[in-house]
Amino acid sequence: MAGKKIDKKDIAKLLSQWSQELAVYVPSIESGVATMAKWDGKDTSFLDWYRNTVIPTKASFFPSAEEMFRFQKDNKGYHIELPPSNERKQLIFGVRPCDARALAILDMTFKEAYEDPYYLPKRSSAVLVGLGCTNPYDSCFCTSLGISPAQSTDVDLMLTDIGDEFLIEEITDKGKELIAKATEVKKASKEEEASAKEVKEAAYQKVTRKIDTEGIGDRLLACFDDQDYWERIAAKCISCGICTLLCPTCYCFDINDELVRQQGTRFRSWDSCAFSLYTKMPMENPRAEKWRRVRQKVCHKFKFYPMNFGVIACTGCGRCIRLCPVNWDITQTLESVPVKV
Amino acid sequence: MAVTDISQRERFFARGNVYLPHIIVIEKIIEETPGIRTFHFNFKDEKLREGFTFESGQFGEYSVFGIGEAPFCISSSPTRRDHLEFAVQRVGRVTNALHRLSVGAELGFRGPYGNSFPLDFLLGKNLVFVGGGIGLAPLRSLIWNVIDNRDKYKKIDIIYGARSPADLGFKYDLDAWGKDKTVNMVTTVDRGDETWTGRVGLVPKVLEKVAPSAREAVAIVCGPPIMIRFTFPVLEKLGFTPEQMLTTLEKRMKCGIGKCGRCNIGNVYVCRDGPVFTYAQIKNFVSSEY
Repeated sequence: MAGKKIDKKDIAKLLSQWSQELAVYVPSIESGVATMAKWDGKDTSFLDWYRNTVIPTKASFFPSAEEMFRFQKDNKGYHIELPPSNERKQLIFGVRPCDARALAILDMTFKEAYEDPYYLPKRSSAVLVGLGCTNPYDSCFCTSLGISPAQSTDVDLMLTDIGDEFLIEEITDKGKELIAKATEVKKASKEEEASAKEVKEAAYQKVTRKIDTEGIGDRLLACFDDQDYWERIAAKCISCGICTLLCPTCYCFDINDELVRQQGTRFRSWDSCAFSLYTKMPMENPRAEKWRRVRQKVCHKFKFYPMNFGVIACTGCGRCIRLCPVNWDITQTLESVPVKV
Repeated sequence: MAVTDISQRERFFARGNVYLPHIIVIEKIIEETPGIRTFHFNFKDEKLREGFTFESGQFGEYSVFGIGEAPFCISSSPTRRDHLEFAVQRVGRVTNALHRLSVGAELGFRGPYGNSFPLDFLLGKNLVFVGGGIGLAPLRSLIWNVIDNRDKYKKIDIIYGARSPADLGFKYDLDAWGKDKTVNMVTTVDRGDETWTGRVGLVPKVLEKVAPSAREAVAIVCGPPIMIRFTFPVLEKLGFTPEQMLTTLEKRMKCGIGKCGRCNIGNVYVCRDGPVFTYAQIKNFVSSEY
């Protein structure tokens, strides 16, 4: 497969072309927070500052709060209607390989048994344009989860920074179609392809933080009932939930109603196993204590999800380390699991 | 009441957008105890009224529009289909709102969800039902189901208890089963009052005294978690193996379809993999958080 490339200064033109048919999202700063937001039609300065978004790409398909349906009562009773869906298909530019893999992991939950009617249509109609990560954070540990920071097959197109240009790889047919229509795309030379390969290898070497996933599920299970251990691990956690809410593979949600002047809305919103009310029932709460909630979080990602779907629900994006207000560190936790197997 | 043969009916599955509730209408409200009410309901949509099927042990997500959704088992038997029933103890926001409703009110309903009591496994066996408080709700769906197919099962013991005589729910059922010569009905209360002449004692203790045989038997247990935890050891003492004990678990189940995340016990989701489990399965759970 012959490689393609595009000049960095032509990215705006490329995005403009795509914008004609698709709603293009790019890394942006909204209220001081890096997130994927609708492209304004000109600005490509994210190419200079972008490392990764604070809000993971999951939010494009599973927003923090989402209207499920509306209800209204008249003299004939209740009527339910779906919110108008006038949203255009999304193209998300600059997805990092860790976040792209996270979507593949989320697909499993949202597809399993009952298909989720909100996540899946958005997801299957979207185009992901991956952008290799050449400057990972020191909290990143994607390579321990089988992910390469600058390589991905979980996207439709994969871009690699080779200086003044991006090398483009067409991963899916959807991606090929997009490139076929793009007038600014040129053929890449053998040398340019080789230099992209070098960039990828260098990026891989830059991820120095590691975890040992070998038998991690069984090791966690072996100390599952070791309350002392979990209390130590959970000691400094303040149950703020940020490590789960902004985790690209966390999908827990709550469902609530809102009633404003007889017009009702049912919506779902991100929820977190870090909150004590999350599992609270009127008579009892299986995870009232903090250590039980921390245990749930760690074991769900590294034992229960693999039991159900065959993959670890972590991509090593490092957000839970970077964003934790008390410096709780999942890699330290996993390192400290007592060896009892 | 008419007994319907549902064996030929196609099993009902939620299709399309699984989060959209069907509208149901409350047809009757029974005050079981000061805190528990049973609601009789039917679907507003006539086609659904005909086409909806469920099995004993399954649950639904019921919503009071504007307040929210909560899971309750379908407490009526699939063999009796003039209407459906669910029973609610007043404890939280949604249940308080439900208790404020009157006949004719419209609710949302999603379901049926979850697995069900394994009728094939119960076939031809002696059945021991052990219930406490509102825990009789899922059991009575199965009990009526079994009574309506009486020749398919052997002995039936029902041991039911509540804190006080006033807390005994479903008294019309207790009366009916008490009069049924093919059923051994035992009712008990934790504490009696001036007029109570029946048994006094906690359910597990009474179960130990009644001592049903474990031979070709299955025990089906449902009640407050504390009762369930004390009942299993008594059953084991009576010779029941963990495979011969069934229960239905309660968790905060928001979505009902294994996605929202909060009802897991280890890798098991109570809404999707349960709510009916054998004690053998529960003992194998990764976590003891049941």
